Amino acid sequence: MLEIRNLTKIYDDGTVALKNVSFTVPDGEFLVIIGLSGSGKSTLLRCINRLIDPTEGQILWNGVDLAQLEGEELRKVRRQIGMIFQHFNLVKRSSVLTNVLTGRLGYLPTWRSLTGRFPPEDIQRAWQALERLGIADQAHKRADELSGGQQQRVGIARALMQDPKMILADEPVASLDPVLAHSILQRLESLNREDGITVLCSLHYLDLVQRYATRVIGLRQGELVYEGSREDIRQMTDAQFKEIYGEEAERIGAGGGITGSIEEHSARGGAA
Amino acid sequence: MSLKHTVPEEPRAPSLVPPAVAALLSLLLPGLGQALARSLRRGLLLLFSFATLGGLLAWRIRLAAPRDEGAVAIARKAFHLQPFLLFNALLLLLLYLWIAWDAWQTARRTEGAPVGIFALVLVAFFAVGWQVGGIDPVRFVTQLDEAGPPLMRVLWPWERAIEYPQEVQIVKAPILSPCTGEPFAGGQPKEGEPYLLTDPTCGNPSEQDGTPGTTFTLRGFGLEPNSEAEIWWEDPIGNEFRQRQEGEYVTVQTDAQGNFEVQIVMPYRLLPPSAGEGPKIWTVEARQVVSVGKPQASKELKLAIEKIIETIFIGMMATFFGILLALPVSFFAARNLMSASPFTLVIYYLTRAVLNVIRSIEPLIWAIIFVIVVGLGPFAGILALTVHSIAALGKLYSESIESIDPGPIEAIQATGANWIQTVRYAVVPQIIPPFVSFTIYRWDINIRMSTIIGFVGGGGIGFLLAQWIRLLDYRAAGIAVWFIAITVAILDYVSAEIRARFV
Ligand SMILES: Nc1ncnc2c1ncn2[C@@H]1O[C@H](COP(=O)(O)OP(=O)(O)O)[C@@H](O)[C@H]1O
Ligand SMILES: [Mg+2]
Repeated sequence: MLEIRNLTKIYDDGTVALKNVSFTVPDGEFLVIIGLSGSGKSTLLRCINRLIDPTEGQILWNGVDLAQLEGEELRKVRRQIGMIFQHFNLVKRSSVLTNVLTGRLGYLPTWRSLTGRFPPEDIQRAWQALERLGIADQAHKRADELSGGQQQRVGIARALMQDPKMILADEPVASLDPVLAHSILQRLESLNREDGITVLCSLHYLDLVQRYATRVIGLRQGELVYEGSREDIRQMTDAQFKEIYGEEAERIGAGGGITGSIEEHSARGGAA
Repeated sequence: MSLKHTVPEEPRAPSLVPPAVAALLSLLLPGLGQALARSLRRGLLLLFSFATLGGLLAWRIRLAAPRDEGAVAIARKAFHLQPFLLFNALLLLLLYLWIAWDAWQTARRTEGAPVGIFALVLVAFFAVGWQVGGIDPVRFVTQLDEAGPPLMRVLWPWERAIEYPQEVQIVKAPILSPCTGEPFAGGQPKEGEPYLLTDPTCGNPSEQDGTPGTTFTLRGFGLEPNSEAEIWWEDPIGNEFRQRQEGEYVTVQTDAQGNFEVQIVMPYRLLPPSAGEGPKIWTVEARQVVSVGKPQASKELKLAIEKIIETIFIGMMATFFGILLALPVSFFAARNLMSASPFTLVIYYLTRAVLNVIRSIEPLIWAIIFVIVVGLGPFAGILALTVHSIAALGKLYSESIESIDPGPIEAIQATGANWIQTVRYAVVPQIIPPFVSFTIYRWDINIRMSTIIGFVGGGGIGFLLAQWIRLLDYRAAGIAVWFIAITVAILDYVSAEIRARFV
């Protein structure tokens, strides 16, 4: 169980990215974080695995305050938390297989990993992960030769190699077209359901939120302004919507419930 | 350029002086008229241009006639020696008059400012530059046929690349002195070997008082054809000396069959009493330098090969040390790594500044400095190129570090990897291609530079090249030039191949 208590992040330049945010995520949850661009979603996710140091507050994960960890202890926790990025963040010039194998680095002694030779059992595991994500045939290609959707699957495979208890996904489908978005989120969903991995994922399109989230939180200018279950979001009112996305935001799409998307990035969310 | 070209300008207040006065003032001091016509900047610019051109011209005229006294004498001599100076002077005069006319115009106008006069200023500067530079296209053409033969030797130097081992071949004939009345055999014909015959076969040496000795007809057969032979003597006690006649050493030229004929007078020779009395055997000799055996690489070719190897290694070692030292330096010069604290930022600026200073000094200058420190030779060259490589590579490396994508670093950190693993898996793969590419580029430069670093004593083939050029040994210099060209061509090919593999 992940418990965020009074989390505040103020960047060096004075930007207040998170203001006193508190919420709880039971194990096995698929939590979706929504909010406008700049509302603090990335900051929140990066605070959890401490790519960013929070200014104040606690991040309790199974009773351990991640905000207090340093060095070796921090790395031991990090290796149990996979992370998936909007721009995949693969090492472009390395092979797909090598990129996946880097997910094991936290488990390997330094001297051993520096040679670039991974233990056979890790290589075995990497092939399984690639198999599971359907990109085993791409293993020896350079990462940047793959399409966007394939690259994101490599990203997921890398996270999977960590044997994670939790996955943080920062807008994992924002750079992909809607069909691919579903395929990626379905794979995250399967990890969540079949492997029981807790998923924290920031998303932009409401229909994706409704389809995959088991719980939703909304951020607005660094403040937690919404918290609800999958059912809640289906019945989200215009008022609640404007609460998250601001007065000027318009809901797009018709029919019962919210099926439209927030016009944010270049693409529209109406999935096929 | 048309005189009507004007630059737009704010309308000016009317001139302080009438146009005629302005023109007159500009004749007194170029630009003064314009200044008083409320075009101060124009006046100053014209004054400055005129004064500079006048000063330059005066200097060149004095330089052309350094020993003459009096302005007229100097000018006449200078214009006589270098008629182009006259053209310069005429341009200056034209400018002087134009400035006066321009003052008149400027005083009349209230807006616009023609720029034609500045075209004249440019032309005048250009003409001075032509004179200072000693530009002489005619000479370039007319001297081409004189330069032809040496250039041909540079272009095709290979005659100098081989040589034949040489040996002195001595052909002898005995002479009896004094004659005894009995016949003396003297030199005899030999089958298949060179031989000398003398007529007569005995005689007397010259006397100390100048009385000439016996004149012999000396004939040689079967010697090295079409070459020179020296005539030598060996006296009865074994001393060897060259035949002199009328103060000159005697040298004969063999014909196509290797035969010669020459008249020689038996020389004077003081023999010690221990030599004893009575007739003795003298020997007359024809000596030739002949080539024997197979052609061999010449001394110059061997030297050039030795030095080209040295050259390549100078370039290699300098590149190697350059990489080794540039790597750590580049981390200090990478902004993204050093912006963490003010302290590191200071190191960053310092490193950058030092690198820039080092880089702005040419490797040849560094070589001169290091020749002073460690003496002539390849080590000085290696040091010079190393220092310059560190600065150049340090800058290029640090720039490629600065441009790496932070995304993968974040991702690898997020897997729980430690710092060194992150560097190994996220940073190194990103910087290897640019590093390899820059390193090859630098290697290229270093080998090229190492071929000329010898000109200032830094070792390598440049040293030979400079020396041979100074000795006017254009064939040997040609060998060096060819070696440099071949090395650079091979290197180009090799580095293109490496680049294709790695980058
Ligand atoms: N490194 C940083 N330094 C300063 N301000 C930052 C930094 N990263 C993000 N911010 C600011 O913090 C706020 C939240 O950003 P972010 O967490 O990226 O939002 P989101 O992911 O929801 O778009 C924004 O105002 C953003 O400009
Ligand atoms: Mg973001």
